[in-house]
Amino acid sequence: MHFLRYTVRKILYGIPLILGVTFISFLLMVYFGPEQTYTLLGKNPTPEDLENIRRQLGYDLPFITRYAQYLQEIFTFDFGYSASSNERVLDILARTVPVSIMVSIPGFLLGNGVGICLALCAAHFRGLWPDKLIMFFSVFGMSVSLLIVIIGFQMIFCSSYGLNWFPVQGWDVDSFFDYLKYVTVPTMATSFVAIGYNTRFFRSVLVEEIDSDHVRTMKAFGIHPLIIIIVHVLQNNLIPILTRMIFTIPYILIGGSILIESFFAIPGVGGVTYDAISSGDLPIMKAVISIYTLLYVGVLIATDLVYRLVDPRVELG
Amino acid sequence: MVLILKLLIGLCWISVTASAALPAQKDELVYRHVEDGAPSSVDPLHIQNTYANSLVTAIYDTLYEYKYLKQPFELKPNLAASMPKVSEDGLVYTFKLKSGVKFTDDPAFKDGKGREVVAEDFVYSLKRHFIKSNRSNGKWLWQGRIKGLDKWGQESGGYQKEVDGIKALDRFTVQVTLVKPFPQFLYTLALGYAAIVPREADEKYGKQISVHPVGSGPFVLESLSSTKAVLVKNSAYRKEIFDIELHGYEEAKHGSTGIAKLSGKQLPLVDQVEVSYIKQPSSLWNSFTKGNEIQYGWVPTVQLDQVLASRQPLKLKKDFSDRFHMRVASDFGYVYLEFNMNDSSIGYHKDPEQNKRNHALRCAIRKGFDWQNRIDRMYHGIGEAFPGIIPPGVDGFDPSLSRESVELDVNGAKQLLKKHNWNAKTLPNLYYSGVNSVDFRKFFVQFRSWMSRIGYPKEKVKLKTFATFGDYSKAIKDGRLMTHSMGWGLDYPDAENVLQLYYGPNKSPGSNSSNFNNSEYNEIYRQASAMQPSVKRTELYKKANKILIDECVVIAGFSRTRVHLWHKNVSMYPTREVLGNYFKYVNVKPL
Repeated sequence: MHFLRYTVRKILYGIPLILGVTFISFLLMVYFGPEQTYTLLGKNPTPEDLENIRRQLGYDLPFITRYAQYLQEIFTFDFGYSASSNERVLDILARTVPVSIMVSIPGFLLGNGVGICLALCAAHFRGLWPDKLIMFFSVFGMSVSLLIVIIGFQMIFCSSYGLNWFPVQGWDVDSFFDYLKYVTVPTMATSFVAIGYNTRFFRSVLVEEIDSDHVRTMKAFGIHPLIIIIVHVLQNNLIPILTRMIFTIPYILIGGSILIESFFAIPGVGGVTYDAISSGDLPIMKAVISIYTLLYVGVLIATDLVYRLVDPRVELG
Repeated sequence: MVLILKLLIGLCWISVTASAALPAQKDELVYRHVEDGAPSSVDPLHIQNTYANSLVTAIYDTLYEYKYLKQPFELKPNLAASMPKVSEDGLVYTFKLKSGVKFTDDPAFKDGKGREVVAEDFVYSLKRHFIKSNRSNGKWLWQGRIKGLDKWGQESGGYQKEVDGIKALDRFTVQVTLVKPFPQFLYTLALGYAAIVPREADEKYGKQISVHPVGSGPFVLESLSSTKAVLVKNSAYRKEIFDIELHGYEEAKHGSTGIAKLSGKQLPLVDQVEVSYIKQPSSLWNSFTKGNEIQYGWVPTVQLDQVLASRQPLKLKKDFSDRFHMRVASDFGYVYLEFNMNDSSIGYHKDPEQNKRNHALRCAIRKGFDWQNRIDRMYHGIGEAFPGIIPPGVDGFDPSLSRESVELDVNGAKQLLKKHNWNAKTLPNLYYSGVNSVDFRKFFVQFRSWMSRIGYPKEKVKLKTFATFGDYSKAIKDGRLMTHSMGWGLDYPDAENVLQLYYGPNKSPGSNSSNFNNSEYNEIYRQASAMQPSVKRTELYKKANKILIDECVVIAGFSRTRVHLWHKNVSMYPTREVLGNYFKYVNVKPL
């Protein structure tokens, strides 16, 4: 009951946040975003054609009316049709979001899983050669741009100039084996970069704990280092680790990776969003921003609940 | 909630059949094509690029189409049974449609069975463009040309209301009456815009016909995403035999392609066409050279040195020539830099003396424009600039025309500026505009260095960039830019299509973005655009082209050249732009 009351309260607190984010982003879209009229026009338009398209896109309406329409769309969860393709926006998202999730999840799991393991190892051997080696590779991974990693990995693992093991592009997934075939190199590329960032962050969190009194005491009592690290050090630091992980979930669900999708020709939501932004396709932009904001609010609530789960001392107040 | 549910279903679904299309059976012939951009819609109303046109003309039928191999381009009947009967005054066109042609099966039809294509379908499809709420991209082709059609669109009386200018005389005969002669009319009927759409599908799918096309063409759309389109053979496609002689086959030119062996075969030749949309040149090249992915591609400019043995003549290195066929072809269009004649600092000026000075300034800038340097640096030295706006291969192109307008003449430019009292102080700021990108910035830096050679102070040559093409187009159409760089792809092989870009009444927001308005030019255009091909018309085209060169309204032109490659087991003759409907001629030999 307490949980439910807390959740409802948090949702209510989230409403002004949703209104604020949607208002500011809509303001930016309307006044600073590209106007789609000229992209949709034929080659030899008349002023009447121009007027007609502007009217159909709703550009002639007052800002406040347009924003009210936008709120109604969020409320009814119906964002209409893409101005570029005339396809229903929700159909586009339902087709592309699962693909992006499928592409992102292995990278997310690997990036965090390997990052935590390496961070634990580095923290345990703090100042010694394993720590230095791990930190060297972490900094290396962080320093190389994702673009270079993608081009390099594609050349090494996918092309006839390299090992030629995986497909260069596409997403013809009919079985789990196909899935592995298409997702391996994109995952390697994203993990390569993510592991560096994650390891450094997790290490800095864990190092403090390893130096704490209770850990020293456990060592003195001869408790196995693995138990100390996993049961005590890791568990005591779950809050910052989970916070970092949970906050990347909206990005995984709706953000996609424009670079990965572009280079591997994967039909995900990242490419659709990028095209919508560059062409000024408002219905898609509105949908993506709204869903992103809603997810973010959801994640904020979930984070507090998770805190309570991993540490019963946390008060939901 | 609906979306979340859909996402969950999608996630489960994806593990089993997440592919955009059913996989081809092992014994099926699959041709894997590539494009560097994607279509957003395959509705004939909204064809915004050649990528969309290729798909639309493969799915839908048009009355006419281009012969596959014939150069210069030539039309042949497609859904039409023959070439039309045209009245002596060139105003009335009577078309006979083939009988027995059926739309593909679709739930839009009664019992899901595709019905026969009839004359009324053509009438309906053309009328669709004039419904205001449809926002047609192709309306401009027929606007003000067909008797009563514009008025019908404005009155919005519904499809039932007849239009004087388009009538179905019987089940398979259509008659179109034009307002004035429009010799390019037949060309427009080969474009995807003129594709024949069944009313039932339009009514059933509404807006979403853009992703759910129902046609009678050689292929059916299996799936479409931002990265791939899959077309499967239309099993009910009419009997169409590949007559290579009719299509302009020449042994010397096409002999090595293996097309000769396809003569007499039923079209389409492959069971499935997969079109990948790959925007990254490195991915495209890796996929093409991999061997089991895309079978057609082109050499990215950064790879040219690795792939070519020589540029003059253009030859592949042995490693590549052993594995791939090659064709070097120029785009059917050109790139240019245009002046805004409504900008009084460089275009028209009410003071006749200043008008003359502005003319001299434009001509001096053109003299300082180094086409060869641009081609060498930005287009890897392949191709040649041509004077004026009529590209080679189009009626009106004059090979004997002086090349002065595309040759660098720094001294000439300096003298011209001096003669008209232009100096570092009096020269206006010169804005070079375009969509922001690395390449565009390189163009600008190059342009600024050329201008400084003719005496233009560096600080007066300024960059004006836009985040998106839409913003750039808006600025052009609003007449806010001093100069703008653009490219034009010809819609049909007739110089009228490029000359209309400078016809006064087409001024912004119309296609005349330079806002050029010259009474002599306008009169020539009016005359020539209504004439059938003839020596006299060719002369008028040349004269109009010459006026544009003399007026220094545009720095033109250059057709970008592409080195097309395709695998040895594929029989095809790649082309882009105007042609459309070419997938049906492609054949793949199993490896």
